[in-house]
Amino acid sequence: MKTTFILKLMNVLFWIIFIGLCIKTGALLVSFFVTLFINSDGAADTYMGLDLLDIYNFNVEYYIGIASFLITLSALKAYLAYLVVKLFLKFDLNQPFNEYTASLITEISYYALSIGVVAIIAENYGGRIMKQGITIQIDWGAEQFLFFAGIIYIIALVFKKGVEIQNENELTI
Amino acid sequence: MPIVVNLDVMMAKRKMSLNELSEKVGLTLSNLSILKTGKAKAVRFSTLETICEVLECQPGDILEYVE
Repeated sequence: MKTTFILKLMNVLFWIIFIGLCIKTGALLVSFFVTLFINSDGAADTYMGLDLLDIYNFNVEYYIGIASFLITLSALKAYLAYLVVKLFLKFDLNQPFNEYTASLITEISYYALSIGVVAIIAENYGGRIMKQGITIQIDWGAEQFLFFAGIIYIIALVFKKGVEIQNENELTI
Repeated sequence: MPIVVNLDVMMAKRKMSLNELSEKVGLTLSNLSILKTGKAKAVRFSTLETICEVLECQPGDILEYVE
């Protein structure tokens, strides 16, 4: 009863996170195109007070690079949240070990890993820009996602083994 | 798999239907069918014991190793 409630609550939470990340990605995209083609002052408030005007004024290519990383990461995170929502929709506590859940958890771990890798590249790219005297206050969160990917991958392996054991158990007469 | 289940042969020798065996052994028809068609991954000793008891045979009469 308690577990079912927690699962439902987490499902609602992940829906909120998914929608929030979709809005964030959309806002970043709109802000990016507005800054590039309509008004460069848009870089001053890219999203929720994120100021990229200094970078834009310093070098437009750097601005495009940083904004692209932000948009890519936000889109990847939104898709990751979507996968988690899908997992919660199909998750059956009575029969948790099935092929679908196992493959979905594996996919989540791969996406978390790719977010971590993209975040590391973004961090290094930002570091290179900062060496030229520009301050970038963005937490890319690479370490968290790599750690998350590792843990989820281990859970995916456990699930795969669980599916094998369950299949074997079902075929034991 | 090199292990062949000769349950149908023994059932024919004893002139016993799958339904009858299912009732006497206490296994569902689908499980017996899995066993008969060789799809089973494992057989419990207790199941084998009951089948042998009902069919009045030895485990070797039901299971056969074929290279």
